[in-house]
Amino acid sequence: MSADTGTETDAAAAGETTAPSSSINPDSVRAVARKDFQDAVRSWLFWGLSVFFFTLLVTITGVVSYFGEDIAQAGATTEALVVFVSEITRLVIPLIALILGWKAIAGERERGSIKILLSLPHSRKDVLLGKLIGRSAVLSISLVVGFVLAAIVVAALLGTFDVTDYVGLLAMSILYGVAYTSIAVALSSLTRSTTIAGAAMVGVFVLFYIVWNAIMQAIGLLMNFGYLSGEEYEFELDGETMTNERLPDWAYFIESIDPGYAYNNALSIVTGAAETELGVALEEAMFDGSIPFYLQDWFSFVVLLFWIVTPIAVALYRFDRVDL
Amino acid sequence: MSAIRVDGLTKSYGQLLALSDLSFEVEEGEVFGFLGPNGAGKSTTINVLLDFIRPTAGRVEVLGLDAQAHSRTIRSRTGVLPEGVETYDRLTARQHLEFAIESKGADDDPLALLERVGLEDAIDKKAGGFSKGMSQRLMLAMALVGEPDLLILDEPSTGLDPNGAREMREIVREENARGATVFFSSHIMEQVEAVCDRVGILREGEMVAIDTVAGLRESVGDGTTLRVTVDRIDDDALEAVRSLPDVSSATAEDGDPPTLVVGVDGSKTAVLSELEEHGVEVRDFSTREASLEDVFQSYTADGGTEVHAR
Repeated sequence: MSADTGTETDAAAAGETTAPSSSINPDSVRAVARKDFQDAVRSWLFWGLSVFFFTLLVTITGVVSYFGEDIAQAGATTEALVVFVSEITRLVIPLIALILGWKAIAGERERGSIKILLSLPHSRKDVLLGKLIGRSAVLSISLVVGFVLAAIVVAALLGTFDVTDYVGLLAMSILYGVAYTSIAVALSSLTRSTTIAGAAMVGVFVLFYIVWNAIMQAIGLLMNFGYLSGEEYEFELDGETMTNERLPDWAYFIESIDPGYAYNNALSIVTGAAETELGVALEEAMFDGSIPFYLQDWFSFVVLLFWIVTPIAVALYRFDRVDL
Repeated sequence: MSAIRVDGLTKSYGQLLALSDLSFEVEEGEVFGFLGPNGAGKSTTINVLLDFIRPTAGRVEVLGLDAQAHSRTIRSRTGVLPEGVETYDRLTARQHLEFAIESKGADDDPLALLERVGLEDAIDKKAGGFSKGMSQRLMLAMALVGEPDLLILDEPSTGLDPNGAREMREIVREENARGATVFFSSHIMEQVEAVCDRVGILREGEMVAIDTVAGLRESVGDGTTLRVTVDRIDDDALEAVRSLPDVSSATAEDGDPPTLVVGVDGSKTAVLSELEEHGVEVRDFSTREASLEDVFQSYTADGGTEVHAR
């Protein structure tokens, strides 16, 4: 009590708009996450997502088992499945995470219901973290439900079934989904207009799917036209040595921090799929045997963690400092 | 100790001054009516009390604690009925209450709370199908969770029918009897005068009056409003009535037949005889004690015409 009255009115009279940093209470975070989950899990979106993943996996399985006799003979059916699925989930998971998350905070501010949350003894940080956990749980459970249901069909159709590969794909997909949920919830907390929040979601998607690729292509063009100096390397293929030019190291670094790239790359840690021996050999040749850290598989894992932690950290800092 | 202490509170949004050097105190254990027309700054004040927005200047203490530094502690001991808020469409009334109970670490029974607000039949219905009044009842029930020391009710009668508003006042009395301080905002005087010990009237971000209900009533004097139905309006007669010593105001209302509205402190017959002397026929008249509504009007109406001395 004595500490409370210690702050004298002088500070306030000086006109400074104090913005205290709120604390985090695990019980509060859990309460908010649970409420948010209960709320979101009853939406058509949740069920739509589970059905979608189920259909996606079953369709691809069907395609693989129908056309994939060669693959089956190679004994890599699940690996093939993982590669096909991951190419599609790389595009679809961000979309779903952004759709699930865009109204997380902005929607509550627009409807005023954020005042229900914050009238109760929750801090603003509790609310943000609870929202992130709640929405991530919804996305993860819809992934799990879809994957598990499909696993039954996959096992029946393919006969052979590598659980490790499959679970690895599921785990990385969840991690990837949480990263985009973090981006979505963070952006949603920056505005009280769901329209602006929605535009920000489109912006994120455009950034990583169009702008990022365009940047890489632009760098490639600049190199081809000689405005940028690439790195020359030698590569041995079928006994012949070829000389080629590759992009400078920093361009690969830019590419490596795209969460989608990281997702595909990190899959090889857990599944053993998604990486061909030729690809590995080429990579080694390009970098003269020493592949830079940012192209190694573990770094992709770090990139995904970065995309989970950074957006929500920025939001935690800023959301404490705004008028609702 | 004061339950709420607002000291020199100023809040501006760019050029717009929402609250200007506002100071007042709410005593522990009282029911305080926070009155003012829409846009006067009532919700802004409440938002500062709950740390939803930060003051530009000034200091606010709630339950003896700084409103910003100790917001979580304050809110753990406060029940809030926010204004203009939608409940969660997909959650049932029970889930709403369970969330509030879990959040406050309380052990209330959702059914008992809903019975108090007359919503027990809807306990397992989703709030998406609720009427405005039902949502308001649900949020009142959430505010009651955990026997709070302070209740902050922002326009609690919104969406309630007269019966609902009466039940709401009943709950305010019960909570106050239990020992809770109640801070109750409204733009309608009628809703606060029946339950409030003291009333503060806010206008354009400033407190223009703060007093007990009896004190406010006194400030209108033992004034009476005399309504006289006449056959015609005569400007000379009106002027003559105005110049009578006991008359504080006199206005004419067009109509068929027209009516004169006269604020008078003493003899009413003097007014009537003055009119008849001017050849105006008095067809009917009625008198009415000045109500708190008149006080409120006088403080908040534009121009503040015919304001009685404070």
